[in-house]
Amino acid sequence: MNLLAKTTIFNLLLALVAFVIGGIQVYHTFKYEVKRETDFSLIESFQPLVSAMEAGVPAAELQSWMLYITTINRIDTPDMQLVFSDTLAFHPVLKRQEPLRMLTTSRNINGVNYRFKVMNVFIEESDIGRIVKNVLKDLFIVLGVILIIFSLLISKFLLRPFKETMQKIKSFNLQSGEVPELPKTTTTEFRQLNVFLKEMLEKNRKDYLTLKEFSENASHEMQTPLAVAGGKLELLVESNALDLAQLQLVQETQHSLSQLSKLGEALLLLTKIENQEFAPHTKYNFSEILQVDVSNFEELAAMKGLKFQKNILPVVQLQLDPSLGHILINNLLKNAIRHNVKDGWVKVSLDHQSLRIFNSGPPPPVPTEQLFERFQKSNQTSKSLGLGLAIVKKICQVNGLPIVYNYQEGVHEVVITLAGASKARSTSK
Amino acid sequence: MKILIVEDERALLENMLSYLGGGDIVCEAASNFAEAEDKLTSYSYDIVVLDIMLPDGNGLDLLRLLKQCQPEAGVLIISAKNALDDRVMGLELGADDYLTKPFHLPELNARLKAIFRRRKFQGHTAIHFKEIVVNSDTHEASVHDVPLTLTLKEHELLVFFIANKNRVLTKQTIAEHLWGDSIDLQDSFDFVYQHIKNLRKKITGAGGEDYIKTIYGLGYKMSES
Repeated sequence: MNLLAKTTIFNLLLALVAFVIGGIQVYHTFKYEVKRETDFSLIESFQPLVSAMEAGVPAAELQSWMLYITTINRIDTPDMQLVFSDTLAFHPVLKRQEPLRMLTTSRNINGVNYRFKVMNVFIEESDIGRIVKNVLKDLFIVLGVILIIFSLLISKFLLRPFKETMQKIKSFNLQSGEVPELPKTTTTEFRQLNVFLKEMLEKNRKDYLTLKEFSENASHEMQTPLAVAGGKLELLVESNALDLAQLQLVQETQHSLSQLSKLGEALLLLTKIENQEFAPHTKYNFSEILQVDVSNFEELAAMKGLKFQKNILPVVQLQLDPSLGHILINNLLKNAIRHNVKDGWVKVSLDHQSLRIFNSGPPPPVPTEQLFERFQKSNQTSKSLGLGLAIVKKICQVNGLPIVYNYQEGVHEVVITLAGASKARSTSK
Repeated sequence: MKILIVEDERALLENMLSYLGGGDIVCEAASNFAEAEDKLTSYSYDIVVLDIMLPDGNGLDLLRLLKQCQPEAGVLIISAKNALDDRVMGLELGADDYLTKPFHLPELNARLKAIFRRRKFQGHTAIHFKEIVVNSDTHEASVHDVPLTLTLKEHELLVFFIANKNRVLTKQTIAEHLWGDSIDLQDSFDFVYQHIKNLRKKITGAGGEDYIKTIYGLGYKMSES
C-alpha cells in the first residue's frame, strides 16, 4: 500500500473516531436543548392558562388530551414548584402511545387549589439519535470522497518530484553513467532529499571508482613482482648451474608463485563480480561457449579415464557476460573432474530450463551448501585454491541464477536454473 | 628477428632481455613512454612487446603510433590488466597477441616466434628442427618426409618445443601453454607426461630421433645433441 493510501485510511479512521465522539456530543446537546425548549414552551403555554382561569374560564373548558386540571382538597397548599417529567399518553390522531413532556404544578386560583398537568409532544431520543447518525454518515461519506480525490491530486502534483527522483535513482547504475540530474522542486523536504541523494550518489560513485582502481592496481602491482620472480627462476633453470635437488626446489617455488598469482586473480575476480563490474549482457547463445569449453575438458576427462557424456541443446539463449560464462563452466567442470573417482564419469546437460553437471565422486566432507564458501576444500593439502565454487556462486547470485548442489549415493549434481533468470535479475535490483 | 621491449618494470625487463637475448633475437629495451616513442620513430622492429601501463603514458597510444609509422611490425601486448576491455581494445587496434602477467618466459618466446612467422612469411614457412618439419599453419608435420598424424595438442606441443629448443620447459609451463590458465587440475602434469610420451612415440615411430629429454622432477628439454 502506498503512502497516500495509508494516510488516507489513517485520516478516515481518525475522522471516524472524531465523528463518533462528536456524534455522541451532538446527540446529548441536542437532547438537552430539545428538552429545554419543550419545557420552556410548556411554561409559556401554562401562563395564559392560569390567566384565563383567573379571568373565570372554567377548568373543564380548557381540558384537552394534553392538559389535565384537577382540583385538590388541600388548604393552604403553596404553589407547587414546576416539575417536569417524561410520560406516555395516547395520541388521538396517531392512535398510539406517544412520549410526551409533562409539566406538573399546582396553583391556587380564586381560592381553589388546582393541579395542572400540561403536556406537549417533543422529539424522541431515538429520533435524535437517528438524525444525528444519518447526518454524520452522509458527512463521513462526503469527507471520504473528498479525501480520496485530494490524495489523488496530491500524488499527481505534490509528489511528482519525489516520484521522478525515485525513477532516476532506480535507473542509476554505478558502473556506467553519471549521477543523474534530480528534478527541481519547490518542496523543501524533497529539495533536501535530492541534495542528500545527489551527495550520496556522487560519493558512492567516487568510492566505487576508487575501489575499482584499487583492485586493478592491486592486481597489477602484485602480478608484476610475481612475474619478475617467476622469470628469475626460469633464468636460474636456464643457467644450467643447478643440480637436480636444487632444480626441484626451484620448481616448487615456481609452483607456489603461480598459486599466489592465481589466488590474487581469483580474489580480484570475486571483488569484480561483487562490484558488478560485468555489465548486464545482451542475450547470446550460451550453448556455443559451453560446447567449446566442454570439448576442452572432454580430452582431460578422457586422459583421466573418466567417461564424459553431454547433452547440450544447440540454442539456449542466456543473458550472462560471456567471460563470466566461461569462468562458470570452467570452474564447474574442473570441479567435476577433480573430485571424481577411478573409472568415474561426468555428465553435462543444458536445456532451456537449466544447466546440470553430474559427476561420480566421493561423498563431500561438509554439507553441500557449505561447498560454496570460500576456501572450503575437500582436502586442505590439495593444490586447488578453494575459490572455484565461491566464484561460481557469486556469478550466479549477481546474475539471479539459482544454483543448487546435491549429493546422493556417489553422485554429485550441480543445477543452475536458467528459466526466469532475466526476470529474477530485474526484480533483484 | 629484432624486437623492442617496452616495459617499465626494470626487473621484468631484464628477465625478458636475458631470456630472449643471445641466439637469433636482437632485443632492445625502452622503460618508459617517451623512450619507446623515440625508438619507434627512429628504428624499425619486427615485433614490439608492449606493456599497457606505463608511468608516463598509455601503451595503447604507442600502439596507435606504431600502426602509423611501422604498420608491418608485429605487436605483443603484455599487461597485468586482464580486464576484457583492454584486451579487446588492444586487439582491435591491431595487436597480434596478448599476454597477461605473470607469464612464463618460454611462452613469451613461443608467442614472439609465432607472430614473427605470421608476419614475415604469412605463416607459409615451415619450422625445421633437424629431420622434423612442422607447418604451424596447416597443422602438418613430418619426419624424414614421413607425415606424422598428430593431435592438435601434440602439434602445439611440438611447435612449443621447437620454439624453445635447448631450453628447459617445466611441466607447469607446458600445461599452461596447452590448456591455458583455466586448467590447474592437480594432475594436469600427468596429462603433459602422456602427451609427451605419445609425441615421442610418433616421432620415433616415423624414424626420427628422440630429441625430447626428461629432466627428472622438473620438466623437459628439446635439444639437438
